Amino acid sequence: MRAARDDRFRTEAMALGVECALPAGYAARCVARPGSASRLSGALLLVCIAVGLWHFGQGVYIHAKATLAQYLIADAWHKTLAGRREVKPWPWADTWPVARIDAPAAGERLYVLEGANGRAIAFGPGHVHGTPLPGMPGNSVIGGHRDTHFAFLRTLKIGDPLSVQREDGAWRGYRVAGAAVVDRSDVYVTRNSGPTRLTLVTCWPFDALRAGGPERYVVTATAAPK
Amino acid sequence: MQMHRGSRCVAALVAFAAIAFICALWLARGAHAQNEVRMKPQEVQSGTLLFKPDDGGETFAVVRQSTDVTLRVSGLVVRATVRQTFHNPHDHWYEGIYVFPLPENAAVDHLKMRVGEREVLGVIKERAQAKAAYEQAKASGQRAALLEQERPNLFTSSVANIGPHEDITVELEYQQTLRYDNGRFSLRFPTVVMPRYIPGTVKVAGAAGTGWAVATDLVTDAARITPPVPLTGTLDEPLNPLKLQVLLDAGVPLAAVDSPYHKVSVTEVDGQRREVRLEGDTWATRDFELIWTPLAAQQPQAAFFTEQKDGKTYGLLMVMPPAASSVRALPREVIYIIDTSGSMEGASIVQAREALQMAVQRLDAGDTFNVIEFNSYAKALFNDAQAATRENIDSAVRWVRQLRARGGTEMATALTLALNGRENPDRVRQVIFLTDGSVGNEAQLFKLIADRLGDSRLFTVGIGSAPNSYFMSKAAQAGRGTFTYIGKIDEVKEKMATLFAKLESPVLKGVQVAWPQAQVEAWPQRVPDLYLGEPIVISAVLDRMQGEVKLSGMNGETQWQSALPLAAAHPGAGMGVLWAREKISALTDSLREGRSEDEVRPAVVQVALAHHLVSKYTSLVAIDPMPVRRTNDPLKRTAVPMNLPDGTVQEAIFGELPQGATDARFNLMLGLVLLLMAAVMWRMRRRTVP
Repeated sequence: MRAARDDRFRTEAMALGVECALPAGYAARCVARPGSASRLSGALLLVCIAVGLWHFGQGVYIHAKATLAQYLIADAWHKTLAGRREVKPWPWADTWPVARIDAPAAGERLYVLEGANGRAIAFGPGHVHGTPLPGMPGNSVIGGHRDTHFAFLRTLKIGDPLSVQREDGAWRGYRVAGAAVVDRSDVYVTRNSGPTRLTLVTCWPFDALRAGGPERYVVTATAAPK
Repeated sequence: MQMHRGSRCVAALVAFAAIAFICALWLARGAHAQNEVRMKPQEVQSGTLLFKPDDGGETFAVVRQSTDVTLRVSGLVVRATVRQTFHNPHDHWYEGIYVFPLPENAAVDHLKMRVGEREVLGVIKERAQAKAAYEQAKASGQRAALLEQERPNLFTSSVANIGPHEDITVELEYQQTLRYDNGRFSLRFPTVVMPRYIPGTVKVAGAAGTGWAVATDLVTDAARITPPVPLTGTLDEPLNPLKLQVLLDAGVPLAAVDSPYHKVSVTEVDGQRREVRLEGDTWATRDFELIWTPLAAQQPQAAFFTEQKDGKTYGLLMVMPPAASSVRALPREVIYIIDTSGSMEGASIVQAREALQMAVQRLDAGDTFNVIEFNSYAKALFNDAQAATRENIDSAVRWVRQLRARGGTEMATALTLALNGRENPDRVRQVIFLTDGSVGNEAQLFKLIADRLGDSRLFTVGIGSAPNSYFMSKAAQAGRGTFTYIGKIDEVKEKMATLFAKLESPVLKGVQVAWPQAQVEAWPQRVPDLYLGEPIVISAVLDRMQGEVKLSGMNGETQWQSALPLAAAHPGAGMGVLWAREKISALTDSLREGRSEDEVRPAVVQVALAHHLVSKYTSLVAIDPMPVRRTNDPLKRTAVPMNLPDGTVQEAIFGELPQGATDARFNLMLGLVLLLMAAVMWRMRRRTVP
């Protein structure tokens, strides 16, 4: 009895050792031995459950991170409004909130982080470095994920209001002026000329399953006259 | 039994999944290398490229520029004439603004504007006055040209009221001393500006200027130093056609003449004269260089040229010190810095990696070393300099091979990491810096180098087809080292070998120059340490040509002395402007040593006006008195675009729009599908196994 248990554990350990790193089919081939159909299907089952759980967890984690981080960032934003600068929402953060955007039509309230790199925009829409800060004169460019913070962009219509709060607490109103689909190399949309506006960039199409496509959806909102 | 086994299986699975999930959480947090220096997130640079319709129309028809250059070399100096022709392809009036490079020690003293047969000479004015005169002429419909200096190696020509389908030529002239190193003369003519990285926080939106960048707290004139470039693939052929000829009179019999980066035809006039011309169609996409070597026996050891101007005698002195006699070999600590920013992507990073691998492999067993790479962040290979053992060298080579170029150019971080300001007489500390110098905050970096240098020496190695040679040479000067330029991959070996020969030790230290008269104003006032193959070059203004100038210094551990009678001078041309240019350069450098701009500015203006020189504070302006445009006809303003230098990758420099999607949906979907499959399999197993 004891010997049988040991044997069984060894088999499971072997299956667990490869499941995350290799495609399921490969793992199955690795453990396939003559006359062990039951063991094979058992291993396959484990692989499916583990990989499935990992992916599901990852997806939940991305959304949880995006949602929860905004609460921490909101806290940092209140400190910013109180006069502190570059308040990191958590100790190891390499970004900080630079503006708040409200989209009443979509019921959204978002805190914009400094920098539109992958690390920053996992937690909130990111301000593209080198463009004016949101609420300032010029073309402020903000990037965000189409499946989390910037999912609401697809619902925006021309004329919808947006309002931006700056670090000094002042508010500025904007109205959606248009939207376009461009290529990711079309950096001309970030050009700092023309009216004061927000340029909100996210991935296109909205319903694509995977990230990394070449197209971007760009919403432009021009500042309302003061 | 079977049921029991299944539940254990599930328990093990759940435990594993939990562990995997925690691991994933930890990984996603973004683990940084331990010795990375944190900076602001600047992965994505903003860049605005020309040639995309803003308003739907006029994509390609912009005001274009072509350049025709004549370089006349006589002995140690070159006189250059640069003709820029602006062509307006439109039916309405245009103002063209063209930002372009010149050699970092160019003394620009002449401007002429030509339209058809009409010629208008430029006059020198204080910068603000010149600008005001130009703006007024522009508004009243007169043709006008303005030449301003943005950096010692970066200038702007503005041309107002170019008529429909009209050509206006702006002709400028400059004087320059040649570089003489290791028995070879070299002449460089830059043709293109690598888009520069603009660090700092954006200050004002829409600041004055026509460039792609906006002003920041660190680079207040960013919009003036970033000429627009076309998107790759939008043009049939490059912009800015280039014609160039060199009329070379070396003054000594020549052994060889070589143009390493361009195809040229060389006509031999006599033993010491050549005519060199660019062959075929050439565009301004990379720097031109011409190198010539005098016959071995004829290599100049000393030369003295003078020019009479306004009752004064201006002189240019060059002396070649002998090779070092004895050198005490100290162990070295060598810090290599490699620039892995976006502008290095393409041919440059390949050259830099090659040069670095070679440099590391040349270290002696007694040396210590470290390697630092930087783009938006700086990262060191070791926490501290390590002994040059076989294993350490091998791991450095492996590390260097995997370096990729992406992101910003936060040079200050890397220099801070490399220069610690410490002094240690038991070793020689050398910092070798491989970069293209494409930054806009030069002044800030020079100050940082001077402040933190300690007893280290900084050697800059310029990489790529259009490095910022002003930054390279001034950084080396501030770091009391030398500047080496590597323009293509097959030069790496030879150039690095030459650099290493220099690195062994300075040949001449503590150089003193004694003039026979008291009222001699000579530049530079403090002669830097000299390395193998480098001459002493001094510009001076003298009263009388009597007596002799005495030079001395420490050659290894022995005293070196030399004397040159002033009466032996040869007459030359342009020594006055060269002296003025050196003086302006020294005055500008004194800003970094703490002198105030209010003090330096009038001194620069005075010299520049007296010698008709363009400087940071003075500009040349040419105005045609005859108005040509009726003031109710509109005048449009446009920046004249420039090519991206050869071998660069646009996306690496200007970045892309941020990626706005995660894999969350894919993860959730795949996770659900797999779990569903597992559930089905689970049921099937329970049915088939009795």
